[in-house]
Amino acid sequence: MIDSLQQAFIEETRELLGELEITLLAVEDAPTDSELIAKLFRALHTIKGSSAMFGFDDIALFTHDIETAYDLIRNGKLGVTKQIIDLTLLARDEISNMLVKTGNHTQINEANTKKIIESFREIVSSFNKTEKKQLHAVVEPQSSSIDKSSDVFHHFHIRFIPGKDLFLTGTNPLMLIEELREMGSLVLSAHLDKTPDFTSLNPEECYCYWNAFLKTTKNLDDLQDVFIFVADNSELTFENISNEIPKDFEIDFAKLQNLVSQNDNDDFRAVLKQYFSVQKQEKQLEINTTQKQTQATNSHSESDSVSSIRVSSEKLDELVNLVGELVTIQATLSQVALSNNNNDMISISEEVERITWSLRDSALNIRMLPIGSTFSKFKRLVRDLSNELGKEVELSTDGAATELDKTVIEKLNDPLIHIIRNSIDHGVESPEERIKAGKPSIGKVHLSASQSGGNVLIKIIDDGAGLNKEAIREKAIKSGIIAENAELSDSELYTLIFAPGFSTAKKVTSVSGRGVGMDVVRRAIEGLRGSVQVSSELGKGTVITLKLPLTLAIIDGLLVKIGSDHYVLPLSSIEECIELTQDDVKKAHGRHVVNVRGGIIPYINLRERFRITENRPKIEQIVIASINNHHVGFVVDQVFGQHQTVLKSLGKYYEKVEGISGATILGDGTVALILDINKLTENEELEETKLASNSFK
Amino acid sequence: MSNSMVNETKQYLTFKLSDEIFGVDVAQVREILDYVKITKVPQTPDFMCGVINLRGSVVTVVDMNLKFGMKRTERTVNTCIVVVEVKIGDETAVLGALVDSVQEVFEIEPQNIEPAPRIGTKLNTEFIKGMGKRDENFIIILDIDKVFSTEELELVTESSNYKPEQ
Amino acid sequence: MPKTIMTVDDSASVRQMVAYTLKEAGYGVVEACDGVDALSKIDSESFSLIITDLNMPKMDGITLIKELRVKPKIKFTPILMLTTESQNEKKMEGKTAGATGWIVKPFKPEQLVAVVKKVIG
Repeated sequence: MIDSLQQAFIEETRELLGELEITLLAVEDAPTDSELIAKLFRALHTIKGSSAMFGFDDIALFTHDIETAYDLIRNGKLGVTKQIIDLTLLARDEISNMLVKTGNHTQINEANTKKIIESFREIVSSFNKTEKKQLHAVVEPQSSSIDKSSDVFHHFHIRFIPGKDLFLTGTNPLMLIEELREMGSLVLSAHLDKTPDFTSLNPEECYCYWNAFLKTTKNLDDLQDVFIFVADNSELTFENISNEIPKDFEIDFAKLQNLVSQNDNDDFRAVLKQYFSVQKQEKQLEINTTQKQTQATNSHSESDSVSSIRVSSEKLDELVNLVGELVTIQATLSQVALSNNNNDMISISEEVERITWSLRDSALNIRMLPIGSTFSKFKRLVRDLSNELGKEVELSTDGAATELDKTVIEKLNDPLIHIIRNSIDHGVESPEERIKAGKPSIGKVHLSASQSGGNVLIKIIDDGAGLNKEAIREKAIKSGIIAENAELSDSELYTLIFAPGFSTAKKVTSVSGRGVGMDVVRRAIEGLRGSVQVSSELGKGTVITLKLPLTLAIIDGLLVKIGSDHYVLPLSSIEECIELTQDDVKKAHGRHVVNVRGGIIPYINLRERFRITENRPKIEQIVIASINNHHVGFVVDQVFGQHQTVLKSLGKYYEKVEGISGATILGDGTVALILDINKLTENEELEETKLASNSFK
Repeated sequence: MSNSMVNETKQYLTFKLSDEIFGVDVAQVREILDYVKITKVPQTPDFMCGVINLRGSVVTVVDMNLKFGMKRTERTVNTCIVVVEVKIGDETAVLGALVDSVQEVFEIEPQNIEPAPRIGTKLNTEFIKGMGKRDENFIIILDIDKVFSTEELELVTESSNYKPEQ
Repeated sequence: MPKTIMTVDDSASVRQMVAYTLKEAGYGVVEACDGVDALSKIDSESFSLIITDLNMPKMDGITLIKELRVKPKIKFTPILMLTTESQNEKKMEGKTAGATGWIVKPFKPEQLVAVVKKVIG
């Protein structure tokens, strides 16, 4: 059980650290916002408190001094400075490292943590003239908020008759009385009349009982809390007698206590009444008939107004799987209904289909998260990178509410980081260069996300130096990526920066420029069935656009047949389908190209690629797709049309097979393979270059 | 392997591949299916028949005859797919084995199991747990965890240059 | 003289947490890893309070409480149980066995100190 608690603690702390970072960056822009500062303090306080509970003593110790500093800040004794923010950000990173335990040790960078603690201590010591206070944990009763000072006083008559065996449970009733005393002004009467005579007295039994009058801002729940452990074997009564007190009446507690102590009998209430009426007679009071009843309202804690529930990813995946299976079997149901020609069945199956699609949409929607959290992480990245590289860069975002599948967001993280690094490192110029170019010294990087059709578009826009077409061309020719006389459109040229081994960076920094980054980025995006496009203007800036499908689990495909098997091509890349006759093939004289409205389009004959020999039809179909800004055709036997279906993995054994991205189950129960047309095209190009270079030998 | 690897009495599902009888620990057998349409995955070796739909899951099917170097399994009324579970590292994988026919389940005691001969079978001895004796016949008891290991099955055939059609 | 508390729990991390929290609040703390260990240490000094988990090997918390109450020195010493929400019936059982009160797990350090203060000041 402790392991799962610790895991829960680790997850919660990671979340807290994330919020801490966001709040810190926000406080940097609003250093006097008390709410934000309170938030910072709370986060540190919680981390310090719970970390000790789960064996992360080092985190607790480390956070202690930081919390002290923030306590001073929230009390206005210390102001927020850049140094403090920097230190706290570093501290945050250290705490994050400390959460990782290998064996019994946490990963502590002693040098760093020592430096940070010393810095904080220095900051604090300038306000701490007295000797180090021992930090007392905040004593909070578990119910109502204590920070509220309510003007409303309640007056209670409390009667506490403990059970005889009170002492045998180790209870000290005087501690309970003390607790009451701390809650307000107390008048107490102890009664010994139930004590038996000496000979029959059992010193281990409790005969004493109490009456008390308490004026307090606390409410009944708080009172009952005091007696929580003894409630079941004591007689307890609480009476709110506020309305027996004359309005605006100042109670003289010392006097009342004297009065009560003189009366040993149980008529405590009578004594009280007497006191109040005497006072009423002595002073002429105006009785206010309108007595406002103000309920001590419990303020809502600072939880979000949107209630949410944490669900493990595995449970979600399972749900999506089951829904996927339902979709599949429902397709079979529809088919069977149609073939049986039973009208009742057909209308039922249509209804089932409608509900199943809704269910599928809901299930997939659960996995959707706003991309905003990813965006806000980058603010920190941009800040750090700007510092490191000596550039001044501001990050702006829009479309943070745009939602994407959780897995897509996770896998987008690294590619986005790399693109942003690239923009800052190579795109945005140094402040001096910018001023010389007539630009503001602070560069801008803008992240935007929006939905368009079944896709999400993410743009990374910088106002830096833009891409140099000539430099790219030169580099590409030198690296052998393109031929010297190759004709490429601007967008095709820009896309070359994603080719493996390509980099025009004059200087390889620690951050980027090694030429391994951008092609990995493209691969990652394609792995998500997305695409990358680049546009740029020299001197003005660059825009990188990522197009991603809304979900990975369902694929919008084009269903085709080759031989006796069915295949699915991703619909998003497909532009048109045309016929390929024997004539067309002859005209091309052995090359795999076809003339479409004047343009030459190369194609891949999938039959040949997949070594399918059976049943070749006389007339075949070419599916023309747009891949990396040029058109490629894929030859199949038959095209059936659009088909939306659940994507299934082929499993371990097929991991090395290139060109197939998964499988799907069709309505008739057979398996169709989903083609990775990008990979197929790439491999084909590699093949042809090999062939071409071979023919020169 | 000079010793038979079997210490306990177990039950074995037996099946035929060409003329030979093979056995698999019944504990690893999930179910037996009649022949269904198998979708071939391109660029995989011949013995990888492809994948089938098993109640919504995509399951790989291996042609056992081809895997063991014999002629391709002929599709007859007796042809079956034996769905088995194998251990791959920490995980369990489900696979289908395409066989000529399925025989009975036999119980064989360890003393009736002899170690695999070094020569005489065309098989990699790694695949054989032992030779079970039953009446006059030998049953080749397979270690399917080895037969269906990832290294064995994840081979990809090279797409060699193809000639464009004239 | 600071008050000394014994904390009994087979989970080292909870024990450590309790010890750390109470030491920070000014109490002395002695740790025991289960009932048997607790009973062997209980006579070593004068304890103002004993905090014990209920689910422990060798001897469960309720049994420990009963054993402790039999000892003359501990007859009136406050004993607190660490329980989980789902163990509500244990609270009553514990009280019948002689426990003073309880703390519900998981708890925040400040909650622990609040209850301890409540019981022994």
